[in-house]
Amino acid sequence: MARWQLTISATLLLALGCSGNADAAPVRGGQMIYARAWDSLYLDPVLNDANVDIWVLSNLYDTLLEPSADGKSVTPGLATAYELSPDRLTMALALRPGIRFADGTPVLASDVKFSLDRARDPKAGQWNFMLAAIDNVTAAAPDRVEIRLKHPDPTLPAALATFNTGIMPERAFMAEPGATLDDKAESFARHPIGAGPFRLAEWHRNLSMVLERNPYYWAPGEDGKPLPYLDTLRFEIVPDDATRILKLQGGEVDGAEFIPLARAAELAGDPDLQMRLFPASEVTYLTFMTRPTLKDGKPNPLTDPRVRQALNYALDKDAFIHVVHFGNGKPMTSFMPSTTPLAVAEAPLYPFDPARAKMLLAEAGFAKGFDLSVMIRAGSAEDIAVASVAQQMWGEVGVRLSLEQLDNATMTARYRAGDFQIRTGTWTNDIADPSEITAYFAYSPNIESQHSGFKDPVIDADFEASQKETDPDKRAALYREIQTRFDEAAPIAFLFESPYAVALRKPVTGFDQIPLGNNIFAATYIGD
Amino acid sequence: MGYWRFVLRRLLQSAPTFALITVLIFLLVRLLPGDPASAMLGDRATDEAVARINASLGTDLPIASQFLRFLGRLLSGDLGQSQALHVPVTELIGERMPVTLLLAAYAMVLATLISIPLAFLMALYRDRPLDIALRGAFQLGLSMPTFYLGLLFLTVLGAHLRIFPVGGLGRGPVGILYHLFLPALTLALGLAAVITRSLRAAILEVLQADYIDFARAKGLSERVVLGRHVLRNALISTVTLFGINLGQLIGGAVITETVFSLPGVGRLLIDAIFGRDYPVIEGLTMCFAVLVSIIFIVTDLFQAWLDPRVYR
Repeated sequence: MARWQLTISATLLLALGCSGNADAAPVRGGQMIYARAWDSLYLDPVLNDANVDIWVLSNLYDTLLEPSADGKSVTPGLATAYELSPDRLTMALALRPGIRFADGTPVLASDVKFSLDRARDPKAGQWNFMLAAIDNVTAAAPDRVEIRLKHPDPTLPAALATFNTGIMPERAFMAEPGATLDDKAESFARHPIGAGPFRLAEWHRNLSMVLERNPYYWAPGEDGKPLPYLDTLRFEIVPDDATRILKLQGGEVDGAEFIPLARAAELAGDPDLQMRLFPASEVTYLTFMTRPTLKDGKPNPLTDPRVRQALNYALDKDAFIHVVHFGNGKPMTSFMPSTTPLAVAEAPLYPFDPARAKMLLAEAGFAKGFDLSVMIRAGSAEDIAVASVAQQMWGEVGVRLSLEQLDNATMTARYRAGDFQIRTGTWTNDIADPSEITAYFAYSPNIESQHSGFKDPVIDADFEASQKETDPDKRAALYREIQTRFDEAAPIAFLFESPYAVALRKPVTGFDQIPLGNNIFAATYIGD
Repeated sequence: MGYWRFVLRRLLQSAPTFALITVLIFLLVRLLPGDPASAMLGDRATDEAVARINASLGTDLPIASQFLRFLGRLLSGDLGQSQALHVPVTELIGERMPVTLLLAAYAMVLATLISIPLAFLMALYRDRPLDIALRGAFQLGLSMPTFYLGLLFLTVLGAHLRIFPVGGLGRGPVGILYHLFLPALTLALGLAAVITRSLRAAILEVLQADYIDFARAKGLSERVVLGRHVLRNALISTVTLFGINLGQLIGGAVITETVFSLPGVGRLLIDAIFGRDYPVIEGLTMCFAVLVSIIFIVTDLFQAWLDPRVYR
């Protein structure tokens, strides 16, 4: 029998996420104030659409498994272990003994079945694709869940550690007013109950959100008593970057997210602060429209892979990182962020080589260059910087780039309709698995590879095989081929990976933001 | 015509304006490129996801049926539900509007407190060094962008001197007035510059009127002359300016709200426009239209009260 037991202790893993005064004993109690750039929108694990929700949901809702601190594997959560049948079509999970929701009611296998059934409903939200392989979920015993699959699914452990599979109390959810599950979710999300380290105490939209300690949380801290250490965690919504930093410097808040990288060096030199750059799964790129003709019927130079490769060689990635992110970042080694499991991370793609770029352009019949236009998000300083740097570098090889500023909804409508040549893009992973980014970037049946029109039958077949391949080596080989083929065909310009920039006051210890973006406050405390 | 007939006529005049705004805003938001589903999903917008969201929001129906639905809801006092926040629009406006109104009113009071004494000083010391210096200062104030002035206040008075909090709303009446002081002052300074200049000119004009000479000749004290005769008459033209600017204050508070982290309607509207959150855009715009209409009516009525010739 194939048996993958999770043996690492949860305490150890939580401790891995900690940093700072590792030798000092954690301090219990007190309040931490954290300045967020945007407020959450919808605290429902299944129906939310945005990172502003995803990145804080795990503080409220615990999952059966949890993403590891490096974002590449999973660790035990509400389930202590899982077991796969020899045919890999059934996964059995043992629930942790004595676990409770934040309202004190026990977490039962029936709650797990309810939560997973709702999360995998193809009509509910946009995340159900991650659970598409599930045929049915049964509560075999109050503390034992069995998941029956339609086909073997190597992504299932990672999916059970992803925010949309947060476990919710069935009885409390069903007691909400509303005719449908979606109506009930709207009501439930205003006063959510989960099994995470905190529970919602107050929420004044776009002003503040207060989370208080969940006294029933299961994970023990370094002192052997249950986490979290903090009594309350207060989010204040401070949309202006400069104001957020002023509040931190003025001592009004203990931490602040989305620090502009232009100011990272300055804050790192402040004796009262710690400037943290957490390894992220964030990549910045330019998507090329690769169809043979443009929307207006004219021939599209970007349909030739040599032209796309030339444009990649013409970009000096180190200069990009220097100009756009003030030296904080690294060149991409694959279309996947290097924190993604199975990402190829050997060498930067397309090292700067303008001579080679000119040669490839000449081979493709564009020795004299051509005109291009890039869509950028209006008002985004980063997009403007990225496009301006590309404009200058491509100009050196004879390609004339013009910039078109559009608001986000207009830009989305345009690229969905294939009405563009190049557009700026940023991506972060939501699941500790390469399948999500591959489905959107390289697998053509989903959204035509970022709406670029790029299609490679080998990649499509490899991806479909990889979704059922449970042999880790064979799956890794499939992903290597996908990345090699995609990177060579270059339907995007590979720019850079960036970190999550968070500034904290000196006494704050144990805060972590994992590569998937999740803000982990369970083991955070304010030291002496 | 009596005062109350004037009031009634003024109210009736604003009804068609309001109806026109309702139709216009409904059509205009739908003319914007991009739909709510694309705005919500961005990079991850698959065709199925977009179709599902459009169906659940009713944005896949013909415009005419969407308008009938909208009108039906509106007549029953329902502004619909925010697509992004999943809460009723009336609840959102109820939470946010008081913050913006309070900020605008606070700024108005501060602007009045600043501009009336300064306008008198400048008029009475016309073309003397004090007048010239103040005029220069106001020119500078007018040309300084709001966000810059706000950040300057936050940096100096907030983070460094720690006299005022760095943004936020505070609790309790005193806490709120304390927290809102800097944002209100930021808005007030721009407004005070406009009002002071206009009031100074009006005062100068009134000071030359025969009835002022007559009042002085009657032996009235300078305080009574300036307070009862000069100020009241000089205010008539300035009240209109107050009205126009209050409308702008409410609509233009968005930058101040962002810099000072205030949960007002300005930010709500901007987020709604970028997110193509149709019900919120429609609800808020109608609310603004009603408010601005009310302000104009009140301004007219106040002007009529100051100067009965307006309705005769």
